[in-house]
Amino acid sequence: MTAKQHELLSAFVDGELNSQELDELLSLMSTDDNAKADYQRYQLSSDVLRGYTNRSQPVDLTSRISTALADEPVHQLAEQQTRKASVISLPDWFWKQTAGLAAAASIGALAVVGVFNQPQTMVTPELAQVEQVQTQTAVAASPNRWTVGEQEVEDRLNNYLVDHNEYAGASGLFSYARVVSYGEE
Amino acid sequence: MRFLLHALLGLSLVLPVMVSAADNDEAVKMLERMTEAAKTLTYEGVFAYQAGKNMQSIRIYHRADARGELERLISLNGAAREVIRSNDMVTCINPEGKQVNVSRRPLGRGFPSDLPRRLNSATPFYDVNLGETDRIAGRKAHELVITPEDEYRYGYRLWVDAETYLLLKSELVGSDGEVLETFTFSSINTDVHIPEHKFKPQMSGEEMTWHRSEPEQPLNTANLSQEHHWRPAWLPEGFSQVAYQTRLRANNGADVEQRVYSDGLSSVSVFIEKIRARHSHLRGGSHVGAINAFGTIMQAHFVTVVGEVPAVTVEKIGNSISFADAQQ
Repeated sequence: MTAKQHELLSAFVDGELNSQELDELLSLMSTDDNAKADYQRYQLSSDVLRGYTNRSQPVDLTSRISTALADEPVHQLAEQQTRKASVISLPDWFWKQTAGLAAAASIGALAVVGVFNQPQTMVTPELAQVEQVQTQTAVAASPNRWTVGEQEVEDRLNNYLVDHNEYAGASGLFSYARVVSYGEE
Repeated sequence: MRFLLHALLGLSLVLPVMVSAADNDEAVKMLERMTEAAKTLTYEGVFAYQAGKNMQSIRIYHRADARGELERLISLNGAAREVIRSNDMVTCINPEGKQVNVSRRPLGRGFPSDLPRRLNSATPFYDVNLGETDRIAGRKAHELVITPEDEYRYGYRLWVDAETYLLLKSELVGSDGEVLETFTFSSINTDVHIPEHKFKPQMSGEEMTWHRSEPEQPLNTANLSQEHHWRPAWLPEGFSQVAYQTRLRANNGADVEQRVYSDGLSSVSVFIEKIRARHSHLRGGSHVGAINAFGTIMQAHFVTVVGEVPAVTVEKIGNSISFADAQQ
């Protein structure tokens, strides 16, 4: 994938593509398996989780995937990954339906709902769900940052956060996630 | 007869304890293997980080070989913030603010941290148990349930890969059972070669502002005892000092002293920074995710306590810190 393609993908996940760019991306996805795989990774960890976590009970996405795979015995790693990919890959009809829609911000979220509900019928019920999820997101979003008034104080605390993370305990492997996601809504 | 009765009574008391101790030993062993795995494995994956209502997805590359460790984290939503860690440097890149912060790691220190070897000391203050077997990111995982014995530390639920012992999911749990932070892989590959270019930042450094922090000369033991001016009179039971360093911040010339206290699982840093001009500082508590901070001003110094512990803990530590003049 080129940087331009990554940008397209990222903009798509954020729902910021115009219709021409969307067409470009869709044709890329239908021909490039890497792009599709990348898209799935982006999508899996972003919009879905954002949307679903605003419900009263957070939905553990990975456990959903796991449930789908629950009947599968534990095999070699390579084999598992192939299967996982096939579970979350998007059916062809989905792309046709999506391409037919205007390039609205809801498409990213729609894709996700589509993947996980695996709808066999019309797209309308999913649209209704998407609207609901997006409203919740807008209400719930609050920045992930120190609750201090001044930039200087915030900067200092951020330096401390980085220095402290060197020694963060049990979540060690993940601990710098707090730094890279700082300030994001 | 009486002897037999006593023996039986004794056995019935001892047996359940033995079983639970064995269970606990196994859980602690798994915890140790987990921290070892995070350092020695090469892996690539995407994980979600959730704190409260905020959710981020982050890509991680980690390589361990004869040259040491190299790690890169990139935020996949919003600003493409990055952290790159090598054996001796931590580089934080913020493309929105066009800023790069580089810190040199303390000399002779392990990567990612040296806390794991202290895990055994943590067990009196936590109840460590094996939970259910689950599946995370398509892999079989053992759950570890770690419950604190008092209100000064958080609990953890950790899911450890059955095959590689890599941490696949982690939850930080508050005293009322509320999950404060979740880290969870949605995809992970441990059987992978990661090429060099994957550890290069996306941004070119030219248009960025660079901030560097350099450690001062390593302190010898004599110096160390002289420097022990600042002391918290109170720490949660089981916490002791595990690290001490001073850094010079190039952007404002401030000398920052950091002391790290830990019980082996949770840790708290106390930062002492001399006030060089009229500046403002955090007074009281603040937090980001599950990290709490408490700030105060003392003897013309900013004193700040930061840690993945409850607000009450950083506040109590912060309020107990005092300055003892070494000359006296």
